[in-house]
Amino acid sequence: MRIKVDANKCSGCHLCEMVCSLSHLGIIHPERSAIRIQKDDLQTSLNTPWLCKQCKIMKCLDGEKDVPARERKKFIWSTQRAERCPFNGLNVFGEQAYHCDLCLGNPQCVKVCTSGALTLST
Amino acid sequence: MVLSRKIALINLTKESVRVSSIPLDLRRTFLGGRGINMYLLSKVYSKTLDPLSPQNPLIFGAGLLTGTLGFGSRINITAKSPESGYLGDSNMGGDFGAELVQAGFSHLVVTGKSQKPVYLLIRDNEIEFRDARSLMGLDTVETQRRIREELGDEKIKVASIGQAGENLVRFASIHTGMKNAAGRTGMGAVMGSKNLKAVAVRGTLGITISDPKHYLRYYLSEKKKLMETKWVQALGKYGTPILFQYSNTMGFLSVRNNQWTTIGDQGYALEAEALEPYTTGMLSCFGCPAHCRHRYSITEGRYKGARGEGPEYASLGSLGTKLGNLDLEHIIYAVDLCNRYGLDTISTGSYIAWAMELYQRGFLDQEQTGVPLHWGEGEAILELLHHIAHRKGFGKILSEGSFAKKQLGKGSEAYLLDIKNFPIEMTDERLSKSFALGMATSTRGACHMRSRPSLDVLGLPEEVLKKIYGGPVSNQLSSYAGKGRMVWWHELFNAVTDSLGFCRFLTIFSSPHAPSYRQFARLIKLATGLNLSVKELKTAGERIYTLERMMLIREGLSRKEDTLPKRYFDEPVPEGPAQGEVILREAFDQMLEENYRLHGWNKNGVPKKGTLRRLGLDNED
Ligand code: SF4
Ligand code: SF4
Repeated sequence: MRIKVDANKCSGCHLCEMVCSLSHLGIIHPERSAIRIQKDDLQTSLNTPWLCKQCKIMKCLDGEKDVPARERKKFIWSTQRAERCPFNGLNVFGEQAYHCDLCLGNPQCVKVCTSGALTLST
Repeated sequence: MVLSRKIALINLTKESVRVSSIPLDLRRTFLGGRGINMYLLSKVYSKTLDPLSPQNPLIFGAGLLTGTLGFGSRINITAKSPESGYLGDSNMGGDFGAELVQAGFSHLVVTGKSQKPVYLLIRDNEIEFRDARSLMGLDTVETQRRIREELGDEKIKVASIGQAGENLVRFASIHTGMKNAAGRTGMGAVMGSKNLKAVAVRGTLGITISDPKHYLRYYLSEKKKLMETKWVQALGKYGTPILFQYSNTMGFLSVRNNQWTTIGDQGYALEAEALEPYTTGMLSCFGCPAHCRHRYSITEGRYKGARGEGPEYASLGSLGTKLGNLDLEHIIYAVDLCNRYGLDTISTGSYIAWAMELYQRGFLDQEQTGVPLHWGEGEAILELLHHIAHRKGFGKILSEGSFAKKQLGKGSEAYLLDIKNFPIEMTDERLSKSFALGMATSTRGACHMRSRPSLDVLGLPEEVLKKIYGGPVSNQLSSYAGKGRMVWWHELFNAVTDSLGFCRFLTIFSSPHAPSYRQFARLIKLATGLNLSVKELKTAGERIYTLERMMLIREGLSRKEDTLPKRYFDEPVPEGPAQGEVILREAFDQMLEENYRLHGWNKNGVPKKGTLRRLGLDNED
């Protein structure tokens, strides 16, 4: 399962960031959400949602012994992994990185997104 | 926790900041946003307070639930108005309010006057005064860009004024993003008078939620219901221009300064569908699932290269039909120009329409105006916009808004359609009696948004209306029956939504199925832990509205000012679907009295002692 992003449709509402942090951490904290929106509010061209692409080969885990399948299910990651991600897919805030765990199969951000920018693909 | 958000008292003369917490009791009684703003303003509001003096506080107030999952994330900006000379208050969307809450503050009270141009930088509980000299003369969009550049942070949200605010144009607005505006009542001029160019915020504190699990679940289910309403679906597709079509077909529109109320088939040129070719997508304010605003770009022709957001229905009317201007690309361009200069499109259009009617009737000639002010004269409109923003030529006179009546004199004042010194908008209310009353009683002068009683346009069964309003209300737009009640109900309701940070469009407005008090109470409880009953929320609405009323009473205003432009009473709509509609004085008076009675105000529109006591406003007595 993967989340497909259609940046063209994103309205920049930030609802996905809110529910991501809320459902994992009990706090509304866009800085600590696995999905981030770069809202282009002054150019009015595109808003860009970005998040983990769920790569098959996980460059982010290079040099680590952890079992990828298990790490995929974790929301809080280390900042080193964020540095290793070739797509800049992780959100870093303070000492931690936030990784999309796909809400363990029930992605909340997809549920809240009304513009059609976020959809599920399997 | 939202409840731990603070009030910052900022003195620009002394460059000092005092931070205080918000007592729980104040939250319970005035909620936040507009409510707490009014509470704060009422402490210093007087007849002699000069709106452009350092003593006039410019108050920013995020709603109680702004920045959380709710039905909008808005902020009110409040002060004594330099445009009307009375109560000023304007509500703004975008992302600024939510960012302010993330930075630790709900309210900012800015007083004094800085010696040199300054902007405020607010980051996670810290407030800094920064030199704004290099920003002077920049428009609202450029100001925001420069501040982001200067601070090297794309995520900073800025509310700023443009040239109009700097030049103290009485109807200057405050902006964030391309087009979100605290447009009405001249808050931009108050900001300019303080030498305050912008407020920049960046917040990363996070907002803890009292019961995250149930809150999220509840929100998702309510959001789902909301998104299923026809109204929100249409809004998400077409934006507010969809209302233009409605107004035009009903004869509800201001055409050539309300000499007419429809443009008939010519309206196609300005309808939502005509906008489609320019639209590049839809945009949302923070936390809004409806995404009602168009992003557009014009790729060929005279206005090639223009990009922006909007235009909203209010602007289509104000800079379009009201001026006899039916050139959509011109309107889009003119609206963008206003947004950049930081001019309220509604007031700007109204004052230009006034000048155009004066021109039509021979009160003004080209020698005085510098440009030929014929209806629909696109070039002249643009020229005037430049002149108003820079206070040049005839624009200098118009930049005084309704205060220009004094300068123009000679009976010209009869053609400025205003209420409490504040011009009416893009609509004509002779058809809709509830709207007409709401304009007359609005606490910020002529304003359709203070009450926005629009449920009677849907032709709902009267039983449904009775249930909502708690008494009989006619479902006919042109009937007076029960409209005093209807307006009263919406006046309180909107005072509450503005205090929670919610958007008119996502609450009861054009759909009886949209969220109301019950949903608000539940969301407040789950988000903050605060137990507020539906009754307490309604009472808060009463308290806020009556306190606003008391500020007008301090000015010496009362029933006689709760009236409409003479044209509404004396000139029936000449043609079109609303032909013959006019406001009957006697029926109007009855609506007014019904409205007062429900508010607990006397026949003269003055809140009764018992009402003040019941609302805890005894000291207002
Ligand atoms: S699927 Fe879940 S974890 Fe991933 S971004 Fe969406 S809300 Fe966050
Ligand atoms: S919820 Fe959807 S539309 Fe809103 S910001 Fe996220 S991706 Fe964009």
